[in-house]
Amino acid sequence: MWPAPFFAATMLAAAAGAFAWSFARRISRYEVAGESMEPALASGDWLLVDRGAYSRRLPRPGHVVLACDPRAPDREIVKRVVHVDIHDAAWLEGDNPELSSDSRVFGTVPRRLLLGRVRWRYWPRPGIVR
Amino acid sequence: MNFSRILRPSRVAHAHCDGPCGVYDPASARIAAEAVLSMEKKIAALGDAQDAATINTRTRFIVIKEQQAELAKHELNVLWHDYFKPEHLANFPDLHDTFWQAAKLCSKNKTEQDPANGEALLAVIEKIHKAFWASKNRDVAFYRAS
Repeated sequence: MWPAPFFAATMLAAAAGAFAWSFARRISRYEVAGESMEPALASGDWLLVDRGAYSRRLPRPGHVVLACDPRAPDREIVKRVVHVDIHDAAWLEGDNPELSSDSRVFGTVPRRLLLGRVRWRYWPRPGIVR
Repeated sequence: MNFSRILRPSRVAHAHCDGPCGVYDPASARIAAEAVLSMEKKIAALGDAQDAATINTRTRFIVIKEQQAELAKHELNVLWHDYFKPEHLANFPDLHDTFWQAAKLCSKNKTEQDPANGEALLAVIEKIHKAFWASKNRDVAFYRAS
């Protein structure tokens, strides 16, 4: 029989590990291609995307999101939420409108096509993406 | 193994525009329109002679006029459809009418050979040039190559 504190510590570590693992599984790495999100994101930036961000919560204006291109669902795009309508569809625009094809071209993007929220850039200039 | 190869993302998040990223300039329409006007002037200067050599030259002028007018129409359409966005209407309320007039003038330059049509097309392109550069907050003077 294990001593009780050791047993408790093991269980706690397992619980913490399971929690960290479940969170880590939500995170995907992406590389930016294109200039439509400058200056927030530059082409070639490496990002961490929280794919579970919108499973329980709605996107909010200002969020930088990863979404399926409504015109080509295999293509994943990064844009900023400008507003969310009563049907939970998001109007997305690039921060650099002259170099961006976004909701001005393809209209609002339904919530099911929002794949996640861009939270961090890890290379270069590591930091939180706002 | 190289550390950066482990960290490198395998997925791409596109942040593109559809075109080759923002390279627009009404100059390409202006150059085509100038070629149209030049051909109209050459056709007028050639006169009405009907010998084979003159017919050949006249036909070449007409073909070039036709092609360049079509090119001008295409270049204008690229600006109209791809560059200009709904928000530009605030500062350029007659944008649609201007481009419509310009497209119609391209057609008129094809069906007729009067240099006045070429001048009229260039005048509309100058108006588009001003609106285009104003939308980029840049002061770019309109000029002609000829």
